This record gives sequence, C-alpha cells and structure tokens, in this order.
Amino acid sequence: MASDNTPSAPAKPKPVKSGPLDKFSAAVRDAHARFLATGDIDALDTVVLAIVRDHQPAEARAATPAAPPDSALLIGDLGFDSLALAEIVFFIEDLYQVSVSNEELMRITTVGELRGFIRIKVASSGASSQPPSS
Amino acid sequence: MSRSALITGLGFITSIGNDATSVSASLRAGRHGMVVHPLWDNPNVAVKVAAPVRGFFVDSASWRDWTWPERYELPRETLRSLAPHGVYAFCALEQALADAGLTKADLTDGSTGLFCASAGSAFMQYHHLSQAHAGNFERGNPMGVVSAIAGTLNFNLAAHYGITGAVTGFVSACASSSHAIGYALDEIRLGRQERMIIVGAEELNADTILPFAPMRALSVNPDPATASRPFDSARDGFVGTGGAVVLIIEEASLARRRNATAYAEILGWGQASDGHSVASSHPEGAGLRNAMQRALRDAAVAPAQIDYVNAHATSTPVGDRAEALALRAVFSDAGARPAVSSTKGLTGHGLSMAGAMEAGFCALALREGWMPGNPHLVNPDNSCDGLNLPRETLSVAPALVLNNSSGFGGSNVCHVLRRV
Repeated sequence: MASDNTPSAPAKPKPVKSGPLDKFSAAVRDAHARFLATGDIDALDTVVLAIVRDHQPAEARAATPAAPPDSALLIGDLGFDSLALAEIVFFIEDLYQVSVSNEELMRITTVGELRGFIRIKVASSGASSQPPSS
Repeated sequence: MSRSALITGLGFITSIGNDATSVSASLRAGRHGMVVHPLWDNPNVAVKVAAPVRGFFVDSASWRDWTWPERYELPRETLRSLAPHGVYAFCALEQALADAGLTKADLTDGSTGLFCASAGSAFMQYHHLSQAHAGNFERGNPMGVVSAIAGTLNFNLAAHYGITGAVTGFVSACASSSHAIGYALDEIRLGRQERMIIVGAEELNADTILPFAPMRALSVNPDPATASRPFDSARDGFVGTGGAVVLIIEEASLARRRNATAYAEILGWGQASDGHSVASSHPEGAGLRNAMQRALRDAAVAPAQIDYVNAHATSTPVGDRAEALALRAVFSDAGARPAVSSTKGLTGHGLSMAGAMEAGFCALALREGWMPGNPHLVNPDNSCDGLNLPRETLSVAPALVLNNSSGFGGSNVCHVLRRV
C-alpha cells in the first residue's frame, strides 16, 4: 500500500479560515442570515448590492451612490470590466452554491438585471430554507 | 557603449528589513532574519528554520484576509488579482519609486519598461485549482490564473502602473531576477528604453519552499543562528525566505537631468549555462566561471579590479563547492583576492528574488562604503582554500563589485557594478 511509506497522515496547511462575508458589515451578514433562514428577497438584495459595491473600482466607487439605480450599467456607469463582473458572479455562485453560465452572464448589463437574475437563480436553487417571501 | 545605466531607486521587503535603512543596518551588523518557523502544520517535517518577512499577513488564499504596512495604499481592484508575493512586490515598488523621486505618472509614456521574476504562486495555484476542480471548472475564481502563474508580477504591476514599455517576466529559477537585470541593462544600452524597473519576489510558504526538501536542498538544522552558513564545512542546505526587491535603473543622462541620486552603475553582465544537470551545479562550476568571465569582459574589468563578490552560495554542499572552485579559477588563478561573501547566511535564499536582492545589497554597499561579511562561517570548506572570506563587515569602500547568481539547469548570471 502507498500509505506504508508514509509515516503519518498527510498534513493540511495551517488553517486560515474565514467566511466569505466576514469582512462585510454586520448589516450585510445579518441580511445574508435572514435570507437563508426566511427567504426574504429584500435581504438577498442587500447582500447582492453590497457584493457589487465591494468589487467596484475605487475611483468609480467614490463617484457613484451607495445604492445605484436599477438602470445603472455595470460596465460603463459603475466602472466594471468583464473580468470584475465575472468575479462578482463567482462570489455569488460560491456564496449560494449556484452556477451561472456564460450565456446568462452575457445578458446581465444593469444593476436591475443582476438583482432580478440573482433572485430567480438563488430562490430556485433552494439556498434558503424557506420559499421566497416576496 | 555610450549609454550606461544607473541604479536610482531601491525597494526592499526582506527577512532582514523592510526598507533600505534597516536592510543596510542588518547587513552591517551581521543580523540574520531566521526563526524557527513551522511552514506546515506537521511536526514530522524535518525543516524547522525559515526567514519570514515581518509586518505582513498573506498566509490566506483570500486577499480579504491580507494585511500589509499601513503606509502603502494598495487598491482593492489591484489586490484581487495579486498573489501573496505580489503584495510584497507592490510595496517594494512603491518604496523604490519614492526613493527614485518618481511617481506613477512618470511610468506611462512608453520609455519605462518592467522586468519581473518570480516562480508564481504554487500556493494560489493549488487553492484555485482545488476550487475549480470541485466546481467542475464551471465555478472558479476568474483571477485564479493571473494571480497564480509565473508572470503574475508583470501582469499585475504593468496594469496597475500603466506601464507601456517593454514588459515581461523571467523564469530561470534562482537566476531569474539576475537575468531580468541583465536584459534590462541591454534594453537601456540598445536605446529601447530610458528606464527599467526590475522586480524580484517570492513567497515564503510550504508550497514554495518545502518541495525543495525531497531534493535534499533544504537545511534541517533547527538552529536559526547556524542553519544558513554558506561556504562552511558543516553546511547542510539552504534556508527559505520570501519578500520582494525592486531596482529602478535609468539611462545616465536621464538620471542626471532629473538630478537623481544614483547608488551605482551597472557596468556589465554575462551569462553562461553549465549544460550539465537539470538541478545540480557543474562540479567545478564551469558555467559560473564562464559567466563571471563574460561579465568582466563585458564591463572591461580585470579580475584584480574587483573588490567584492556577492556570491550566490546558498549553503548547499554541492552548490557552494562549485562556486568556490569557479571563484578560484577566475580570481585566484589571476592572482586576485577580492572579499567574497554570501549574504544568504543572513537573509536565507530568496529563489527568483535572490539576484535582485543581492544586486540591491551591492548597490547599498557601493553607495555607503562597506562590504558584507560571512558572520555564520566558522570552518571554511576546503574547496575555499585561498579565497578571502571575511567574517565581519569590512568598513572599506568597494569601487567595483561582482554579483553572482545560479539557477536550475545550470543557468549562471553575473553583474559588475561600479561606484559612482
């Protein structure tokens, strides 16, 4: 057996554990917990908008309101490029264990489209223990 | 050559200090940066000593967990695509720009190039690949590639600083950043660029350092004070270190126009390969001997004119012996006896970063007028017979120094630097 040559179990790297939202505000973490427990879609919205803002380039962030209108273009108005959008989507995929295809990603151009898309995607995934409340 | 290159800016994030002043003080005092440092949460790992960078936390695969000295403003959009050693590199580059009296705006007109050297981040690569495998490569961090592969430094730094001149990376293992310096000098000599930024950086973590253990290249000496002792008969391997060092070099007339204060001139360089083994030095250091001779010829300097050699010697039995024999062939056989030291006795071995780090040390020594010693050397190996290996720092100003580097596959690179 291969393990005969191994004096001890394979070691793991020193654990440096952090949850994906650890560095976000308490309000965002609370909203995340509330969505998971109750399916409150407004709470999900709070989390999604915080994630968008967290990934926004510093200059564009300083020039845009904390709660951008649904019509705001992600690429253009909010200063994102396609790679940064892919990062936002990956963050959300990882947080709620959903998958977003390239085709779906290409259709998202505004804040409103992102919010709407995530609502449908996450609500239908069973990430929350309750059906959507609104 | 009518065009020459002056070193006008230095930045250091190293195990012996995070700025030129503290690095210089450590070198002059013979103060090392090693500690007992568990690289892996496993007491059965025989390697006990490493030389970490202080003042940073980059041990997590998530950039959100990282911390660095407050004086560096590292924007999140840049941070998100960096590897841990990219954080060191960013800070060292900011330091070098300030030292040279330059700002980001000075780097964007196409006359400034950027040559970088690191092995990439095995740590990030492992993390991102594990994540992507688990998600069937449908889900994965979009920054996984650019934050992990070799080249991560040049991708990130060129984009952040808006550098539009020559940008590339060098991969010749422990000779990488020395290659970067040599080719940067050529860019200036050939009139292609007026200014070059050279970056060498590496991580200190299990994934970068411990794969050298099965090669029997790492010291298993548990005493931080003696684990790295280049040229000593009791040496048993190298001690790993991480960090970043940045050199800014400028064409001499540009440096003069800007009233920049130069550390030293890079007078010439040479390289030669052993053509012998994938990982071991040629037993008599044939490639390194040729590289030294080519560098001296390029600089039009005779062996007897060299005052100090910063040796590559990493504290491995085979490598140090090969270098000692090569040094004897170049210098002793010509009746020359420069002071020779390996500063890896103090810093540990920075792999791809080593050449730039030690060129930076040579630049400090040339400007400040001293030569580093070999404070951990007790009983020189008999291969060193006839070499001048001072233990203590010499308070003697060198005029010409030679900096040696050797990497896997027998790549050898040497630079000659001159006091200005």
